[in-house]
Amino acid sequence: MSRNAGSDVRAGYLFIAPAIIGFTVFVAYPLVRSFYLALTKYNGLTDPVFVGLANFRRLFTVDPAFWPSLRATGYLVVLYVPLSLAIGLALAMFCNQRFAGVRIVRTLAYLPVVLPAVATITLWKFILDPQVGLLNTVLEKLHLPTSTWLQSPTMSMPSIVLVMLWGVGGTMIIFLAALQAVPTELYEAARVDGAGPYAVFFRITMPMISPIMLLQVILQTTAALQTFNQPKILTGGGPGFSTNVLMLSIYNNGFSNLGRIPQLGYASAQVWVLFILIIAVIALTAKFSSLWTYSDNTPD
Amino acid sequence: MNRIIGTTLACAGLLTATAACGGSDSGGESDGPVTVTVMTWESPETNTAIKKALEGFKDDNIKVELVDTPSGGYGDKLASLTQAKKLPDLFWCGNDTEQQYTSQGLLVDWSKRLDSGDGELKADKFVGSAMENWKTGDGQMGGLPSLMNTYGVWYNADAFKAAGIAEPKGGWSWDEMYAAAGKLAGKNGAKYGLVADQLTSLDGPFTMSMYSVSAGGAPFTDNVNRPTKAEIDGKFTEGVEKLAAAIKSGAVAPPGYDASNVPALFSGGKVPMMFGGQWLAAGFQTDKPKIKYGFAPFPQVQTPTTLYDSVGICTPQYTKNEDASYKVLEYINTKVWDAVLPASPVAPPAYTPAQESYFSALTKAGQNTVVDTVKADLAAEKTVGVRFTTQWASQVGDLTTAMYQPILNGKKPVSDLQGYVGKINELIKSQG
Repeated sequence: MSRNAGSDVRAGYLFIAPAIIGFTVFVAYPLVRSFYLALTKYNGLTDPVFVGLANFRRLFTVDPAFWPSLRATGYLVVLYVPLSLAIGLALAMFCNQRFAGVRIVRTLAYLPVVLPAVATITLWKFILDPQVGLLNTVLEKLHLPTSTWLQSPTMSMPSIVLVMLWGVGGTMIIFLAALQAVPTELYEAARVDGAGPYAVFFRITMPMISPIMLLQVILQTTAALQTFNQPKILTGGGPGFSTNVLMLSIYNNGFSNLGRIPQLGYASAQVWVLFILIIAVIALTAKFSSLWTYSDNTPD
Repeated sequence: MNRIIGTTLACAGLLTATAACGGSDSGGESDGPVTVTVMTWESPETNTAIKKALEGFKDDNIKVELVDTPSGGYGDKLASLTQAKKLPDLFWCGNDTEQQYTSQGLLVDWSKRLDSGDGELKADKFVGSAMENWKTGDGQMGGLPSLMNTYGVWYNADAFKAAGIAEPKGGWSWDEMYAAAGKLAGKNGAKYGLVADQLTSLDGPFTMSMYSVSAGGAPFTDNVNRPTKAEIDGKFTEGVEKLAAAIKSGAVAPPGYDASNVPALFSGGKVPMMFGGQWLAAGFQTDKPKIKYGFAPFPQVQTPTTLYDSVGICTPQYTKNEDASYKVLEYINTKVWDAVLPASPVAPPAYTPAQESYFSALTKAGQNTVVDTVKADLAAEKTVGVRFTTQWASQVGDLTTAMYQPILNGKKPVSDLQGYVGKINELIKSQG
């Protein structure tokens, strides 16, 4: 190795050092530490006491909140992910047209993503108030049935999903970029061949954007599994356990408010369950992606 | 390279030195006055009054500093300060915080200092139930109670008059309350006649205990700090049946009803009756609701029964100013309330000689029903605790959500109450 090559290697290490240090300090160490804490009884104040798998046993066999939390999380994913993808894609296709004011429409669709999340969610809390909220007031004026929304065990999660969909502009932007990358000659050829809009959508658009769709499925599912702000601000997890998603449950156990001593060991066990769940969902999605995604990297 | 390493080490050294010199230290200089820091969860208005009142504390060796904190995020602030070991010398704390922190050895034990009788504060001048509840199993007191929370039923007198119902007053029955709620429901934009969050939330079983105890039955638990058992007897079950029926009929708001906005809705005439604490009187005094309102004691079956609950002031075990902190604590409990409560009558002091200013402020403001109810509560023959103060209380909360609230909602039979209490007893047993 020449003197210059050695110097380049050192410079290379120096340049990537911040990333390595950042990963070690903020990802690798917390990961290992949280796994250790998951095996202990730890309140953050006194030394952790090793309890083996007791936290996991309590989670799966004793804690009356755990299975409902999993159910609530699953319900949220099943409801939110397809809706966000469908609405995001529909918006993107609409914004991909050429018409006067398209830029304004794109800006308006993306605007909720730019607004502070807490402010938007708090605003929705007022909108969804069953007695003085805007939504029920409008429904009453239209002689349509109203609901108690966030205070109803059946409507609380759909209401939260409704609020989450307010930020679908982020999904739209990525789909819009994907749509604009589809070669126009494909559409022109289809038009010449007399293909209708449905055939164009399912035989050209969808296959061509399917890799981005896969990315979106993974991103949206991961985001949905980690939902926290909306249930924390809107419902606090209630009524009952209907919106007590895993992240909220972890927060309540790990950083419990009202001056209660936190259960950081137990919360760490919950974190690991969530972590494994996310890895499993991503792995399954990736495994079956070849069934519905198009790739032109296939060998000749 | 050597130059880079040298510069880095020099910077690190400089930073370390800066941190060492600039660190927060409430102990003050060795030859100057010590600073005692105080943190409250009060509103900005009440904090302003407290700050002004603290200026009256005169001691050349002690400086008092009120720490700014957002009242809404007090729980989170307290948790982070606790873990960072940077709690102020005196901080507002609930009974459960005091019990849990004391059991972890985090707080200064004031019991001996109080028992010695040397200071201005005398143990026998505090409200008895508050003192009893602030003591841990081994007699420690990680803080002193400061203000009493009393509870009752706020009612819209105009709505009662319009519906032709007699206003609630001491000695009224649970049946009368539910009947009134039934008549008031659905009138003038009010969906429910009564919003009783204390009865339907996670603390609901403790509040329901008032029914059974008033009827001569058993309380939900024998001790909120050191429970040996939870119990649901026939009288308790009777109370639950009546509440579930009232919820089913639409007279009472069900579990899950968002109570955070209820005082505002009450002020606007949209909630005719609500369970609530005396502290709402301070807000009503400022905001002046358009309705004519009153505050009544909880209903009873036979004997007047109410909830006991007090908040207080705690000191971390690692304070550098134990003596100074106690002097300021004495000043707050004996003098500060006299200056603060007339402007913001949030609660009666737990130290009885300081209660007069609270009651006279309310009387002057014409809040006579509040005065009567708070006095009746403080003198109630029987009292029950508001919630477990134990470290595993949150697990009981989960059981309540899973098993008790569905019974109130009619989704599970009342007979499931025994299964619910059985689970809690298993928990008590497993926690020793």
